Amino acid sequence: MLLANHPLLGKTIPGDTASRLSIRAAEDVARFSLRIDPAAAQSAGAAFGTPLPTRIGRLVEAGGRMALQLGPDEWVLTAPVAESDGIADAFAALQEPHSLVDIGHREVGILVEGEAAALALRAAIAFDVDAMAVGTGCRTLFDKAQIVLIREDKNRFRIEVWRSFADHVWGILHAVSREIALGL
Amino acid sequence: MLLIRCPYCEAERPEVEFTYAGEAHIARPADPSALSDEEWRDFLFIRTNPRGRHFERWRHMHGCGRFFNAVRDTVTDKFAMTYKAGTPRPSDEEIALAVSASSAATPAEEARP
Amino acid sequence: MSNFRIAGKGRVNRSRQVRFSFDGVDYTGCEGDTLASALLANGVHLVGRSFKYHRPRGILSAGSEEPNALVGSNRGNGRFEPNTRATVLEVFEGLKTESQNRWPSLTRDIGAVNDALYMLFSAGFYYKTFMWPKSFWDKVYEPVIRNAAGLGKAPTAPDPDVYASRFAHCDVLVVGGGAAGLAAALEAGRSGASVILCDEQSEIGGSLLSEPTAEINGQLAWDWLEDTNAALAAMPNVTVLPRTTAIGYYHQNFVGLCQRLTDHLSIVPDGAPRERMWKVRAKQVVLAQGAIEKPLVFAGNDRPGVMLAGAARTYLNRYGVKVGNRVVIVTSHDSAWHAAFDLAKAGVEVAAIVDVRGTVPTQLVAAADALRIKTLIGWTITGTKGRLRVSSVRVNPVTTGGKVGGAETIACDALLMSGGWTPSIHLFSHTQGSLTWNEDGQMFLPGRGKEECRLAGAGKGRFGLKAAFEDGAAAGAAAAADAGFTAQPASYHVEGELSFTGVTGRELPTDRDPGHAKAFVDFQNDVMAKDIRLAVREGFKSIEHIKRYTTNGMATDQGKTSNINGLAVASDALKRPIPAVGLTTFRPPYTPTSFGTFAGYNKGELFEVTRKTPIDGWAAENGAVFEPVSLWRRAWYFPQVGEDMHAAVARECKAVRSSLGMFDASTLGKIEIVGPDAAEFMNRMYTNAWTKLAPGRCRYGLLLGEDGFIRDDGVIGRLSHDRFHVTTTTGGAARVLNMMEDYLQTEWPDLKVWLTSTTEQWSVIALQGPNARKLIEPFVEGIDLSEGAFPHMAVATGKIFGVPTRLFRVSFTGELGFEINVPARYGRAVWEKLFEAGQRFGITPYGTETMHVLRAEKGYIIVGQDTDGTLTPDDAGLSWAVGKTKPDFVGKRSLSRPDMLVPNRKQLVGLLTSDPKTVLEEGAQIVLDPNQPVPMDMVGHVTSSYWSAELGRSIALAVIQGGRSLQGQTVHVPMPDKVHAATITGMVFVDPENTRLSA
Repeated sequence: MLLANHPLLGKTIPGDTASRLSIRAAEDVARFSLRIDPAAAQSAGAAFGTPLPTRIGRLVEAGGRMALQLGPDEWVLTAPVAESDGIADAFAALQEPHSLVDIGHREVGILVEGEAAALALRAAIAFDVDAMAVGTGCRTLFDKAQIVLIREDKNRFRIEVWRSFADHVWGILHAVSREIALGL
Repeated sequence: MLLIRCPYCEAERPEVEFTYAGEAHIARPADPSALSDEEWRDFLFIRTNPRGRHFERWRHMHGCGRFFNAVRDTVTDKFAMTYKAGTPRPSDEEIALAVSASSAATPAEEARP
Repeated sequence: MSNFRIAGKGRVNRSRQVRFSFDGVDYTGCEGDTLASALLANGVHLVGRSFKYHRPRGILSAGSEEPNALVGSNRGNGRFEPNTRATVLEVFEGLKTESQNRWPSLTRDIGAVNDALYMLFSAGFYYKTFMWPKSFWDKVYEPVIRNAAGLGKAPTAPDPDVYASRFAHCDVLVVGGGAAGLAAALEAGRSGASVILCDEQSEIGGSLLSEPTAEINGQLAWDWLEDTNAALAAMPNVTVLPRTTAIGYYHQNFVGLCQRLTDHLSIVPDGAPRERMWKVRAKQVVLAQGAIEKPLVFAGNDRPGVMLAGAARTYLNRYGVKVGNRVVIVTSHDSAWHAAFDLAKAGVEVAAIVDVRGTVPTQLVAAADALRIKTLIGWTITGTKGRLRVSSVRVNPVTTGGKVGGAETIACDALLMSGGWTPSIHLFSHTQGSLTWNEDGQMFLPGRGKEECRLAGAGKGRFGLKAAFEDGAAAGAAAAADAGFTAQPASYHVEGELSFTGVTGRELPTDRDPGHAKAFVDFQNDVMAKDIRLAVREGFKSIEHIKRYTTNGMATDQGKTSNINGLAVASDALKRPIPAVGLTTFRPPYTPTSFGTFAGYNKGELFEVTRKTPIDGWAAENGAVFEPVSLWRRAWYFPQVGEDMHAAVARECKAVRSSLGMFDASTLGKIEIVGPDAAEFMNRMYTNAWTKLAPGRCRYGLLLGEDGFIRDDGVIGRLSHDRFHVTTTTGGAARVLNMMEDYLQTEWPDLKVWLTSTTEQWSVIALQGPNARKLIEPFVEGIDLSEGAFPHMAVATGKIFGVPTRLFRVSFTGELGFEINVPARYGRAVWEKLFEAGQRFGITPYGTETMHVLRAEKGYIIVGQDTDGTLTPDDAGLSWAVGKTKPDFVGKRSLSRPDMLVPNRKQLVGLLTSDPKTVLEEGAQIVLDPNQPVPMDMVGHVTSSYWSAELGRSIALAVIQGGRSLQGQTVHVPMPDKVHAATITGMVFVDPENTRLSA
């Protein structure tokens, strides 16, 4: 196989201490955009092998697979890269009308961790990040770039961003981490 | 920056996540070819452009992605309510109800000396 | 230099001396000083020249309202800012500052001749004095006036600083950290609400910083302040932001705060932002911004050494600086008497207190007597003397009948004035809250609000510490309660209150001709009382018109010290009460704010998103010149050593037509349309018919707006019965998807079809040229590439170099071509493999310019270049792409509107210049008769124009009225050098039979 490449491959931004803020490119995952009538969410969950959340913003995670509901009939599914083909096959057998589109290469993941993680994100995200519940996710804007933000834990966030916007998000996170390291 | 309630997300979200999409409740004719030139012109170009209450469309572009409808005052910029696409134009009573439900007692009086 | 620092007074850190310079002279100040306090401590009052008359000016105030003391501040390393207010700028070791608007020096300024010519510069002088001769305006008057007038000079070098921004959400935002704001923050903080308290000064405390002797609940003010700051710091739910100005108040309690992070530091850490814009969304807002003292309006009130009395008191009590050795007070308000008392107690000679009121509270007179201060009650001030610093004042008694008696002269080196206090209602005004006129206090006060907002303390007309504390506490508790918390406001006991009665300033009576009095109202814009009267005489009645005609209140201070005085003068001149004259509107920002703060992170590389394709890095490493296309940067051409653009593009074009070129087409918009109703949806959206398109085949799709005009186009492949791979123009991707979603969600929600953007899922490599198939055949698995199995406009999935591909047999060049879609992470690796393997065909990477030339040679349009939103498919020669038998599609009905059917519509045609070497300018207008008089009748314009290496001549596309029926006719294109003749042709210049597509 050829060399897989993306703009942030292997990059990290060291904070002042890892406990306060650490930012790095996430490991690659398989990603799909699933569109289906919410009435058929259950059978889609069966195809995915993990039940789908049934409220916008909620996510379900099990066995390395994650489903996040982004819109009334829209979910993003992630899984280990090796399971990609299996997921595509499983949905191909799904009877209910739906759309499953591979977006694994469309996006790049960024992990923002540490006590100052929410503070760092507040530099460029307009909604109340502090009030975001753990285990939820949503599409929003980071400065001028559309992202999906997932709060995996109190001090751990994951950003999913289209690859050509990743440098921009990264550049701002870089500037922000500098401010935070300086205590400004 | 306004806060706009998305009727699909059932949450108030910042204005930057939304895009404006023109006047609401202007359905595309089922059979455009049956329309006279004047009727088609009106569908294409004629809008109410009111001073005050306006029924309009927004899209939660950088959120759930849905188009929805809103009642907004074009003078004060205040949203009276938002509702899902495809639901009928709300009545005056429904709008008044939505406004009174969303606004707590305003402390405006207390600003007085 | 004389030292005006008083032992034992003030809060500045005497043990931390800092050296700074002003106009090249070195001075010493203390940590905690502003530039103004440090200069005054060194006896410097003269700090600038005025805007219009170049009059010497000093320091008027001790806060952000300062209109006079504007300096250029140099913080080193190219960090220069003009118009910094000396009263706000904190001194630090190495700070360099300079005066403005003077030449050759501050003390000897040539421009001061304007002061003698002041009659020329009265209200509206721009419109009157320099109207004749008209031709002199541009060349003589305006440049001279602009050069002579003005503030500091903007720096020409790029701003070396970086800036930050931050969003914050809180229950209660308190603006202002004085007595009222602190009390509000304490109540809200104790209730458990999340609180942000901001104050524009370097220290929290507001007027408490100038009140060391007041006692609050049994504690001295500064002890109380220290304990309170500690208490707030200990609350994790409270954020205290000093050096942070609330600059604007917007809908739904959205407030912008500008936080100054490093301006006060002599060494700025690398990468440290200078300022941060906080964008705060608060459930409740408490505005506790205090009040601003008004100057009095009398002749000579602008001389250096003339200062607001409250400011002098602040310099004394907070900074330990006396503003003079022998001062005179002139006032219409009690508070200035306290300045006199404090100065006298500090050993300053107070030559006299001149109070323009007929009666004054007896306890003030008694206190003055006890300090042996001469009091002149019921007197007026009619002039000042002193060239660069006030040296004496001229005072006169006024009888109860208003008659001004004979003058007395009192020597002094500082004159302290007070015309009372103006509540700071600026932010409240930003919310469009109404104002009401308070007749007793002669001030505007907040009326009905439009936001979840309260005002407290002096900002609401509640003067005095106890009133401020208790009003603030009540506001803080009520705000917390409205945000869902429980709070009981504390009560406060205060000793040592100031007295706060007075009358509002009118222009003071004089025994001289008020028509010649240089009695300033707006110090920064040099507006005098007589200018306002002149405006009224000339017929201006609205305060908004008077403001613009005289420029009163239009300077960078937005009239913080001048608006009410200007209004009072206008009210007298108009013989209408002040509320009937009205108040001009305050607008954000509250104080001047740097562009950098608004830009935040968006400067330099982060100014805007620069989207790069997966192959961008290879292009950069291989010498590509880039061009911006929407947010993308795309390889424009690949010059080899010694090549200019023309040569590079000619070489690239030739390579594609003769052998093989490769092109990064990754930016093409891509939308995956999936679902059982996919074909039906395509039928409704696009002009073409899709039902019969077989899986594995492609079609050129044309998208119209509902108005019938071309919006976008692209090749669309049908991957399976229910799956289409749609491509759009690079710039149209987001717009097209939005338009499709709009129709799908709101017009046809019954259709079972879904849309997903896959623009960035796929990296796209266009291989074009007669050797294209030969190159890829060995590397493609699972697809039969033979002409029969995989003809022009075919699509198939398979593998290339072992990675999955969606392979399109398409051409935007007219040559045999493929567009190889591979998952984005493999884009660069596949490109490199192809480049390597293609060497035997002389494979040539080409950029967007060559792509444009090659497609123009074939007459393929670029939407947005050859179309401009007013072209129908027929106008563009694309009638063949419209499904005539389809009952409906977006835009179809509009195509039969009367205007769409007129014969003389502009149509896209080819143009060949009579001189084959002439490449027309894109956008050049076209006329039929070059000899007609100007303005000529323009019948169209050139949309695309290139040098065609293939043809050895220029080619062009153009829109021309009725163009298709004019084929073979000559038109004329006037360009700057000459008028060029050209012949109208068809749009296809190369291989009209399309034989090469199937080579």
